[in-house]
Amino acid sequence: MMLLRLISWPYVRKHRLRSLLTTVGIVLGVAIFAGMHAVGDSVLSALSVTIDRIAGKTQLQVTAGEAGFPEDVLERVQSVPVVAAAAPVIEAVVQSGIKQEGNLLIVGVDMTGDRSLRQYDLEDGDQDIVDDPLVFLAQPYSLIVTRDFVRRTGLASGGRFTMQTMEGEREFTIRGVMRPGGLSAAFGGNLAVMDIYAAQKVFGRGRRFDRIDIGLKEDCPLDKGQAALQQALGPGFQVDVPAVRGRQFDSLLHVYSFMVNLTSVFALIVGLFIIYNTFAVAVTERRAEIGTLRALGTTRSQVIRLFLLESAMVGLVGSTLGVVFGSLIANALAGYIGDVMLAHYGIALGASRVSLSLSLIVTAILLGTATSMFAAVIPARNAARIDPVRALQRGWYQVLSADENRTRQRAAVLFAALAVGCLVLGRSRAIFYLGYGCFVLGAVLVAPTLCMWLSRVLRPVLTVLRPVEGALAADSLVQAPRRTSATIAALMLSTGLVVSLGGISRGVYGSVVDWIDSFLNSDLLVLASENGTNRSFHFPDTMTPALASLGGVADVQRMRSNKVSVKGASILMVAIDMDKAAEHGSGRVVAGAVKQMYQQAAAGKGVIISENCGMLQNIGMGDIIEIPSPSGLLRLPVVGIVTDYLNQSGSMFVDYAAIYLRYWRDPTVDIYKVYAKQGASAEELKQRVQARFSQHRRLFVGLNREVKARVMNNTRQWLGMSYIQIAVAMLVAVLGIANTLLVSVTDRRREFATLRAIGALRNNVRLTVWIESATIAFIGVILGFAFGAIDLRYELEMMRRDYAGLTLDYAFPLRLALILAGTIICAAWVSSLAASEASVRNSPIEALAYE
Amino acid sequence: MTESAALSGSGAEDRRDAMKDEMRVCCDATSASLPLNGQMVRLHGVCKEFEGARGVRALENVTLHVGQGEIVSIVGPSGSGKSTLLNLIGTLDRPTSGCIQIAGQDLSSLNDTALTRLRREKIGFIFQFFNLLPSLTCLQNVGLPLHLCGWSGPKVRERARTLLDLVGLGDRLDHLPEELSGGERQRIAIARALASEPPLLLADEPTGNLDSQTGKEILGLLQDLHQQFGSTIILVTHDQSVASVATRRITLRDARIVEERCS
Repeated sequence: MMLLRLISWPYVRKHRLRSLLTTVGIVLGVAIFAGMHAVGDSVLSALSVTIDRIAGKTQLQVTAGEAGFPEDVLERVQSVPVVAAAAPVIEAVVQSGIKQEGNLLIVGVDMTGDRSLRQYDLEDGDQDIVDDPLVFLAQPYSLIVTRDFVRRTGLASGGRFTMQTMEGEREFTIRGVMRPGGLSAAFGGNLAVMDIYAAQKVFGRGRRFDRIDIGLKEDCPLDKGQAALQQALGPGFQVDVPAVRGRQFDSLLHVYSFMVNLTSVFALIVGLFIIYNTFAVAVTERRAEIGTLRALGTTRSQVIRLFLLESAMVGLVGSTLGVVFGSLIANALAGYIGDVMLAHYGIALGASRVSLSLSLIVTAILLGTATSMFAAVIPARNAARIDPVRALQRGWYQVLSADENRTRQRAAVLFAALAVGCLVLGRSRAIFYLGYGCFVLGAVLVAPTLCMWLSRVLRPVLTVLRPVEGALAADSLVQAPRRTSATIAALMLSTGLVVSLGGISRGVYGSVVDWIDSFLNSDLLVLASENGTNRSFHFPDTMTPALASLGGVADVQRMRSNKVSVKGASILMVAIDMDKAAEHGSGRVVAGAVKQMYQQAAAGKGVIISENCGMLQNIGMGDIIEIPSPSGLLRLPVVGIVTDYLNQSGSMFVDYAAIYLRYWRDPTVDIYKVYAKQGASAEELKQRVQARFSQHRRLFVGLNREVKARVMNNTRQWLGMSYIQIAVAMLVAVLGIANTLLVSVTDRRREFATLRAIGALRNNVRLTVWIESATIAFIGVILGFAFGAIDLRYELEMMRRDYAGLTLDYAFPLRLALILAGTIICAAWVSSLAASEASVRNSPIEALAYE
Repeated sequence: MTESAALSGSGAEDRRDAMKDEMRVCCDATSASLPLNGQMVRLHGVCKEFEGARGVRALENVTLHVGQGEIVSIVGPSGSGKSTLLNLIGTLDRPTSGCIQIAGQDLSSLNDTALTRLRREKIGFIFQFFNLLPSLTCLQNVGLPLHLCGWSGPKVRERARTLLDLVGLGDRLDHLPEELSGGERQRIAIARALASEPPLLLADEPTGNLDSQTGKEILGLLQDLHQQFGSTIILVTHDQSVASVATRRITLRDARIVEERCS
């Protein structure tokens, strides 16, 4: 501690700006790690809280996928001896229709049995509505809301507001206001309770429930109750504790988690490089000081401890600040992520503030501190090895020793060879990821050598442009690789990450464009919900003939989607009219004979799966899939595989009549694909549909191009997360280059002073620094493009194998790369301003070390 | 603490401007009494103070004339103000009071850019520790001032080659400074100082970092070049043998000129 106070602290104070920039490196890494994980945790936590609060005293829940089941299942459940209470539930997410208010989660319950499982503690309103279920039933458009809701909307008990229902716009009356806590806390307070039978009508559920919540008899253990119910209901139903529903959502966020983890890891690696760079340079600058310490009797281990302690302090301070900024990032991202969740997964989150959990805070601080200390290990070791005699001699230059360079190059070649070997020979996941690790390590190790080569290549070019400034700028990189190589490596990694994620985005976008043309091939789409992913609303199948009989309509194809559990994963089951799909086409066929597969599926003798479903769930042609349905477990062979992007964890297609109606007994539809007759105007047809149906039912009608535009917009929104990576890359550029240049300017004081003494203007000196900064950025970007081009190959493979099961085409994002290059070079110039002013601020006399 | 460090904080510009005004008044008042008569360097009543916890008066009321073509040595013990005087003459620093004229140009009226241009065109520096740029070859080091003057590449190279031949290092064009001996480096430094054919050469302890034999060779070279080019040379040294090559010796002690005599 004494050495820290006497030696380290004065150095930090002397180089305040540099110390600040170094700390910011860790702040950045930890902030991104903490912020993005906090948002992810918040999403899952919000869901868990909602599930938990709504569950109340519920011990088990009976479900049959997203589609629910007929009402008569309730009697079967109630007849099971272990059941003490069985309460049916319908849940739906709707737009409240109130300005500035977002989504509202409506829970439809039957007050008869529900009060034994959930507390309805009203602070205001008609208590009868809770005590006497018939009162609720008699007033169908009644809601019990939360205190939060009334506070925000200014409504009170007795107040009214309109909402869109399947029957069109309806006015709802608030009959009661719940006290805070308990059920009220679900969905961030945006929750309302209504009568279940009214909910069936409002949401077009027919005579079905979403699930049944169960309380067991007192003496019945949970597992016994679960087994008894499962036996009574059969394999088509799931009987689980409420928490299981939350875990299912976890798999939906797989791809999001992939991007978060990748960005976080890279952000921390970048912080690691910035710290390494700073400490490596510090060791060089403080050679004489360290030599003196050693000469006076400081042991090598004391020297190592000193530097590790310094790095630990930097890490601790940086991580703590990083956690604070991470919280800001999380809250800034929360709204955006919420929109993405709703648009892509149909998961609506109650608006709530994101906060970092204690475990995440501790993890982030420990990770940041450990990263900082790890980064300082090599410099600390080098410091301990300094020969006191040589260190105290004048005129030492900062070069990489030939030995060190050779070792690094050999290691790089070895890792590159291992990477190639793993790629070519390895089939298993472990080998693949080992190869990827070797590739990244090899790239980092070879970066200094490539940096020197590129500097040498650029030197003649820069010298032609500016004979003095250009030559000196290039020489600075060549002569002092230790100063610049870590910065360039960090820049290479972050630029490469942007390029590879940009390539994935481009691949996804391109694939979605291809898919959308084949899948959304009707002239009109009639949807029960605005974005098509919110499955709270359905049309009755009785609407089908009415729609088909409209003038100008050639054909109508039904679509009904539900999530079902297949092999433990949440798969989207899409019921369609297979004969119509065969006629009009639907998705690119990857495996199977086109005509045959649609015929078999139409006859109810098979299922068609998406390519990503097959990849992720390891299902191939001919394999039998077990699909739980309310009528029992369905076993169907896979008769075809198509490209489809409806669901990130996979989708499967069955015939609407032969399978869905028969086994789910659910005559509802989510989406109609309407084909116009030859010569008929799609716009006129749209108006006709709206005129015919919108008066007494909720529906959204979109022309083909309108729906495609919306889908592409949603896709772009999801892919917009790549902008976060661009921001990170720019920050890396600014931090790393500013840090490097400040050191460079200090190292080259004498050089700049000599230039000034022999007649260089201040602007000549500034230009030297600017050119150096632009060169560092340029080299970092070039290496980044090369790294990114190879990294993209790996990440496409990761997407295919482990995350989305998608086979995407390799497409280097040239436009993004060029924008990135320009942005980083401009950022580099900005980051050089402080250093360039520092280079001309001091008197040449001081720098020339006169008496 | 040097003045430059003191002047690098806020208000520095104001203090510099105040110093310029004072010097202008001084030069206007005294210029009439200082005939040019081929004088390269003229100092009148120059003082230099360094601000700090304890102010240091590095030069006190120095009045000095150096004629064209003279070799003048400035000697004195350590801390007497020799280097400070050289910095002022070399336009690397500004006096606290008094006036300085170089080649007939009143320095007080010049801003930093103008001073730099003057330095580039009229003054050549030779440093004790050579101050060659380590990443540039001998040819490039020598050509550096000419690039700064805007000469074209081929012309720079031609001139640099000529100078290197002149100092006896025509065969070391592409060598880096680290590959040369101390004496060879100082020759390169001398060649660089002569690049723009400056009328004034300032040498701060030119042999201070060399052994005696090499030092003699360097001094001999300086004398030869002086005869060839006729430059005015001002040498700062604490070595009497080096000072003896000068035609006039000025002795500084405690910030003042205490003696001035012809050799």
